[in-house]
Amino acid sequence: MTSAIVMQGLTKDYGSGHGLFDLDLEVAEGEVFGFLGPNGAGKTTTIRLLMGVIHASAGSATIFGLDCDRDSVAVKRDVGYLPGELPQFGGMRGNEVVTYLGGMRGGIDTARVKELSERLELDLGRRFREYSRGNKQKLGLVLAFMHRPRLLILDEPTSGLDPLNQQTFQHLVGEAKDSGATVFLSSHVLSEVEETCSRVGIIRGGRLVSDMTMDKVHELRFHEVTLEFSGNVPDAAVRAAAGVEDVAVYGARLTCTVHGGFDGLLAAISGHAVVDMVSKEPSLETLFLSYYKQ
Amino acid sequence: MSPRLLLRLHRIGLIAMAYFSIFYMLVNSAAFPIIAGKTRAAQEAFGHSVTVLGATFAWLLPLPVRPDTAAGYLQWRGYGFFAILFAAWGLFSACGAVRRDEDKGLVESWLSSGVSRLRLLATRSMFFAALSAEIVTVAGVAGWLGCVIAGTPADVAGLVGESAALWALTLACFGIGLLVAQLVGEFRAAASAGGAVLLLMFLLDSIGRSSVHRAPFTDISVFSLFNQSNSVAPGGSFDLVATILLFVIGAVATVVAAAAFVRRDVGSGLIRQRPRRATEVHEASANPLLRIPVMRGLWVRRIGALGWTVGMGVTAAAVVLLVNATATFFATTPSLSTYLRGLAGNVHTVLLALIWLSFAQALLAILSITTVSRWSSDDSSGVLEMQLAEPIPRWRVLAERTSELTVTVTVISFVAMAVILALAPDEGIAVDIGKLLVATALLIPFALTFAAVGALLAGWRPRVAVVVLSTIAAISYLVFELGPLFKWPAWADNLSVFQLYGTPLITPVFVGGLVAMLAIVVVGFGSAGVVLSRRDVAA
Repeated sequence: MTSAIVMQGLTKDYGSGHGLFDLDLEVAEGEVFGFLGPNGAGKTTTIRLLMGVIHASAGSATIFGLDCDRDSVAVKRDVGYLPGELPQFGGMRGNEVVTYLGGMRGGIDTARVKELSERLELDLGRRFREYSRGNKQKLGLVLAFMHRPRLLILDEPTSGLDPLNQQTFQHLVGEAKDSGATVFLSSHVLSEVEETCSRVGIIRGGRLVSDMTMDKVHELRFHEVTLEFSGNVPDAAVRAAAGVEDVAVYGARLTCTVHGGFDGLLAAISGHAVVDMVSKEPSLETLFLSYYKQ
Repeated sequence: MSPRLLLRLHRIGLIAMAYFSIFYMLVNSAAFPIIAGKTRAAQEAFGHSVTVLGATFAWLLPLPVRPDTAAGYLQWRGYGFFAILFAAWGLFSACGAVRRDEDKGLVESWLSSGVSRLRLLATRSMFFAALSAEIVTVAGVAGWLGCVIAGTPADVAGLVGESAALWALTLACFGIGLLVAQLVGEFRAAASAGGAVLLLMFLLDSIGRSSVHRAPFTDISVFSLFNQSNSVAPGGSFDLVATILLFVIGAVATVVAAAAFVRRDVGSGLIRQRPRRATEVHEASANPLLRIPVMRGLWVRRIGALGWTVGMGVTAAAVVLLVNATATFFATTPSLSTYLRGLAGNVHTVLLALIWLSFAQALLAILSITTVSRWSSDDSSGVLEMQLAEPIPRWRVLAERTSELTVTVTVISFVAMAVILALAPDEGIAVDIGKLLVATALLIPFALTFAAVGALLAGWRPRVAVVVLSTIAAISYLVFELGPLFKWPAWADNLSVFQLYGTPLITPVFVGGLVAMLAIVVVGFGSAGVVLSRRDVAA
């Protein structure tokens, strides 16, 4: 499989430890890649380097084999971009912004614009300054998707969107993937990545700390279990059980986390009267936080 | 709403006004013996020349009183000009305090913290009143110090009176700005509407001053009320009633603005367009202009460009009418008839050249600075990033910007020229069409010279571009003004872009100046292209 994006030792040093450092990452064509990290981790810096808006201090980045800096004009012919925050277009109407930026690109697929704005329920006749935050984000999505790009680079794409439109966005990403497009999206909301991505990279402090498939992410999952006993609490047996961690006892109640299967826990509590048992699958956010604690 | 935050919000105006006031007042008073001469006879001769010159500029500044003294000269050059400067500062500060703070979400934040709207407006007004009082005082002290250095101390009571009048004028304009900004929902609209109100008041005062017939409604002009006082000049007077009227205008405008603020929605103006259609639009705009390079930028900024075109056209018309009135004023004033006879060529043509080209140069320099301001804000707001997300090279963005400005300046200048050509015959002014054409065409490289320097600054350090360019323009203007007075060498005079433009309506084209302007344009935009391509955008 050929690579859509290749970053080698990509560095943007803002000084005082801020920026992006030695990023090595490849995203294959047709892949939906989630770039995760908390605020200030370096996600937007990476995206802006890919878009050729800022220049790297060291290393290189290519998109479809073209250098993001040197060949940035050619690169952008194949890219649909959603910035982290849309600029103020003031009194321009939504459809004027579409035609204005589409005109710079050299042409507009009017049918596609209509389809996108209808699906996202965006009134393009309103002035930009009248748009709510969510509507501005929808306009940004129309601008990114409207020319059916080979690569979509989206910086926190669901920010400000309501749940229904988040679903529409997921469908759009799915359709783009089905048509062979590559998607590179950044987020600090893991649930949206879970819905759309096949692989994730986790960045922290400007450095890539993990790059894994979603299957691997799911393997890392654990369950938070709460058990309530009518008699003695077998805490020693539970602590000794395979795959069980973080055991705590509050009177007749025991809480723990279970990695992998439940066999060890079930064996440890067998013979004890359990009056209530709750098992929660943690969100990716919790996974994410536990990852960062390491 | 801490004083520190308020100070921060006003910092650019505060710093600029403080520095400029000190510099300008000191120069115009302390340098008096250098300009006028040290003997009494020389100063009297100078005073006579200034009286004649002052009549020429009666459309801009009040007539000089005792310009043979440092204090009289300070009254004319200092406080005469400061009326315009402080009025504009008051107006734009008010528009910014209302509209810009709302755009930034500051007003919403303050109101949500429990501050009432009335208290918010009162606090902003009182803070500006305190701030402007300080600047007016600093200006007065600088003027007094300059007169002391000149060896002829100004009357302190007169300075206090004139400072009070200037403060009252500033607050009146601040009140007007507050009121206008309540009516419309955008800073630009508020600034434009407020600017139009001030321009109208200025023209009323200007016509009233330079015409043999007093124009109607002149007394409602804040400039006219301010000009009732000229207490810095020996023999001048302080008009307490006019000054109190200015304070009353400011107070009434502020109270009405407060009432409007309580009534309207935050984030919008009192005057709102009725919501149009209920049907939603899902199609891209079919406007073909938005797809054509250069035309799309012109279309997006069509209202601003139209405003500038109309404004310049109206100014040109006013100048034509003013030329006639000024010439009549000259003819009916015995002491000025000598000066009239001393002018080479047709008097009306000479006056038109002096007045119109000064106005046109100043306005186009401002247009260039505001354009550079937009280029800088496009960078910080992310507009440039969105443009560069499309497959176009950076140099093309710069080329489109330059072309847009060139077209705008060309249209504005030639529309104004057409207005002059249309009105001049009826006013009995003989205009050499060829020379006017050349003078108008030369305004294009003149405006682009400022823009080229601005483009370089915006490409290099967008955040400081406007401040630096404004400083360059101000210094350029001061060199243009002070050079002849101090008899600076030609090379020093030619450091001013205003000087490079020359006076093409009454003298041959300054070829050296034109070449220099074109060189700055080419080098400036060329360097801007290189700098922009190497710089991180919005970083």
